[in-house]
Amino acid sequence: MTTWPESQGASTSLETVDMTINIGPQHPATHGVFRMVLTVDGELVKDCEPYIGYLHRGLEKLTENADYRQAMGWWDRTDYLAGMCCEGAYVMAVEKLAGIEVPERAEYIRVIMMELSRINSHFMFLGAFGADVGSFGTSFTYGWRERERIYDLFEEVAGDRMFPTYFKVGGVTMDLPENFEARCRDILSSVRQGLEDFDGLLTGNEVFVERCRDLNPVTTEQAIAWGFTGPMLRATGLGWDIRKAEPYSIYERLNFDIPTGKQGDVFDRYWVRLSEMYQSARIIEQCLDEIPSGRVLNPDLPKTLRIDEGELYLPTEGTKGEYGVYLMAQGGTNAYRAKLRSPSFSNLSALRDLVVGNYVADAIIILGSLDIVLGEVDK
Amino acid sequence: MSFGDAFFGISWLDIIIRTLIVVIAMTVVVIYLTYGERKVVARFQMRLGPTRTGPAGLLQGVADALKLVVKEDLRPRNADRWVFEFAPYATFVPVFLVLLTLPFAENWGVRNLALGMFFVFAVLGLNIVGVLMAGFGSGNKYALLGGVRAAAQMISYEIPLVVALLTVAMLAGTLDLNLIASLQGDRPFILVQPLAFVIFFIALLSELHRAPFDIPVAESEIVGGYFVEYSGIRWSMFQLAEYAALWGFSIFGSVIFLGGWNFPFGSEVGVGLQLALTLIKSTLMILLIFWVRATMPRLRMDQLMSFCWKVLIEISFVLLLITGFFLYYNWPQEILALVNWGGALLLLTVIFIRTRRKSEAEDLVGTYKNIEVTE
Amino acid sequence: MTTETSPASKNTETAELIRTQLPDIPFEISVTKTYADLRVEPENFLLLVDGLHKNDALSFDLLRNIVALDMGEEGLWAKYHFYSFIHGHGIQVTVPTKSIDLTIPSITNIYPTANWHEREAAEMVGLKFQNHPDPRNLLLEEDLDIHPLRKEHPLQKPEILQGIEEGPPGVEQ
Repeated sequence: MTTWPESQGASTSLETVDMTINIGPQHPATHGVFRMVLTVDGELVKDCEPYIGYLHRGLEKLTENADYRQAMGWWDRTDYLAGMCCEGAYVMAVEKLAGIEVPERAEYIRVIMMELSRINSHFMFLGAFGADVGSFGTSFTYGWRERERIYDLFEEVAGDRMFPTYFKVGGVTMDLPENFEARCRDILSSVRQGLEDFDGLLTGNEVFVERCRDLNPVTTEQAIAWGFTGPMLRATGLGWDIRKAEPYSIYERLNFDIPTGKQGDVFDRYWVRLSEMYQSARIIEQCLDEIPSGRVLNPDLPKTLRIDEGELYLPTEGTKGEYGVYLMAQGGTNAYRAKLRSPSFSNLSALRDLVVGNYVADAIIILGSLDIVLGEVDK
Repeated sequence: MSFGDAFFGISWLDIIIRTLIVVIAMTVVVIYLTYGERKVVARFQMRLGPTRTGPAGLLQGVADALKLVVKEDLRPRNADRWVFEFAPYATFVPVFLVLLTLPFAENWGVRNLALGMFFVFAVLGLNIVGVLMAGFGSGNKYALLGGVRAAAQMISYEIPLVVALLTVAMLAGTLDLNLIASLQGDRPFILVQPLAFVIFFIALLSELHRAPFDIPVAESEIVGGYFVEYSGIRWSMFQLAEYAALWGFSIFGSVIFLGGWNFPFGSEVGVGLQLALTLIKSTLMILLIFWVRATMPRLRMDQLMSFCWKVLIEISFVLLLITGFFLYYNWPQEILALVNWGGALLLLTVIFIRTRRKSEAEDLVGTYKNIEVTE
Repeated sequence: MTTETSPASKNTETAELIRTQLPDIPFEISVTKTYADLRVEPENFLLLVDGLHKNDALSFDLLRNIVALDMGEEGLWAKYHFYSFIHGHGIQVTVPTKSIDLTIPSITNIYPTANWHEREAAEMVGLKFQNHPDPRNLLLEEDLDIHPLRKEHPLQKPEILQGIEEGPPGVEQ
């Protein structure tokens, strides 16, 4: 509450009262069931209180009560925009814990699928972010066009679009269909075309740049303190990518760059994601060139997977940042404890610090630029 | 029978008949404007738009209207009852009043007012009252924000809008819309005052709450703004007002800048072709507005305000002064047109240079492809 | 198939480095499948984290994750995962609490991101964090005082657990 100084006001002093606005859980800008209560002074945000948990499904408890292989289906549903990346992280954690080898071909297939998922998820970001900034659904349908093609490919490969449960401990469930390579290359060229379209629609738009440039810059030190990873951290200029820093699967053999921003503002976050998609397309092309033939599933797998005592924390580069899986085994068919380190959760936890001091309209854009997936935040 | 004459020679019957014609025309046009917008924007977005209701979805607007009419009319408990219920009318009536004085063809309007342009400005100002009433009366914070945003925006943008139109009125020497159209037989005023048209168009987008100035109704922030709590018939009144205003102001703009019914065929061609000309010109303007809407993201409130107060108002007043000098000293209009075109080009150049210098938007395009290796 | 160059040895080296850099703090070193594990008692934990964060040779600047575990007889444990961008090494720190009443000092002052992670750990398993600035429930309802990730907590809908709804027939509650 602020009062006018005596010199300015009349004898009855004018008062302005801060207003609280509730945004969510059902609101177009929250990208799911997320709620934040903004305290605003006019249009200026004074305070922000985020509330999460609307989509909490007890992933960890369910994983503890299911067989190592059965639990797979739950992990798809964390980052539901990039189901394959989540599967990959979980499956690799189980394999590493159990010491299971994966055939070469399966690794390539996995990387192709994970990168396609990354493209898929980032297209969703571009579309939704464009809608947040206000481009009236045009960006949304631009993103949807490419996503649809990738989902069709997923359906052909795995039998399902969003939650394929395609990866399996020891490989992947089935080999690629015959025309896969041609279709995939076709999709990649259309993805590149889609990127050009987005680049023209958003990057080349003066209004868009004016809205996003210099908005909410974050330094690398702040980003690290807040636990940012992935594109949010890379936008600040630190080129840290787990695919390079602590490589898993076959990423060490692949040749790709890490796009970084300069000042960590909203535009850089957008631009880093746009650039990452281009690099993902490069990775997929290399994989298509080099993919060996052979088995896709380790033949020496036990019927029931029992893992001796052990624990691990395996970080992978999810689409939103560090998607880490902690597993503890104490013998038996179930994990004793499973924990997901979800990037959206850590990124979102800094929302209050990011939003306070900005306008309401900018608060929406900042929330959009975090690229949260509520399935991952709430587990 | 000439259209300037009263129907049946009876003044009050004439008014009723003409008003009825305009009401019916407006309803049909609004229904097909919503359909048209959905179709056109769908094409921009690589969709099909409505296809199922009737041939090519042509009955979609009718179905929507029917659905809205029979829908329950809800009022929130903490809404201010009378303010809430009358706000749609307070929004709609001024828009309808604008339509009354527009010349759709030569002398073909409900009433051709000698101060037509002034009348349009006057009733335009009333529009804000309804919007504020809706925002205040809904008892909803989104609505309140939207109403206040709308009031600030509409009041600000009215100034450049009016001043830009005044430059044309000075050239024409009259405020009579029909007369203004009849003066443009050889050249529409857009050729003489292109800068005024640009200012008019931008301010019009803002007055109509169209992208990129759709801040009061921003869907991703305040979910529709001042009419968020309305439903059924009252909500459709807002829609009706919005699209009727879109149509009315396109005709208004085409009369003042594009020569209305007059250019290029003159007044000899008969009322049918004149009506068609007006409709074609206004449709062109509407399509332009749709195009902008499908492409442009939304500005922020302070950017919007500073654009109005720091750019548009200054330019429009300078234009007003220049036009005054030309008219006072009787300098030829060709030179005024040259100056004007020069001003328009200068404005574009300034915008272009600003784009290059400050935001590097042009330079950024395509940079996502070439990244230096960071390791 | 993993192609990393002997990660185990590198992670043990990191643990040994911490031992030499912070000789005053008692902790036990073991290895997991990925990172080395330091086991430290709650009373020394804040000292260790402070050292991990401040020491230039270590400079663990990112808190990745906090895992809370219900270890049954052995009490409630918390596991922290740290990472250093400068040196590119990671470590896991295990803090066991022997009884339910014991608390772990909150590290939100050192790592602001620990805020939500600690809130989650507190509600899910029932760990108590000392000096936490905002000890409310995060994912569960605010007035709900249950700890779903305890081993004794049954896997069931909350409505059934609260007696609002009837459970499926034949299922013990």
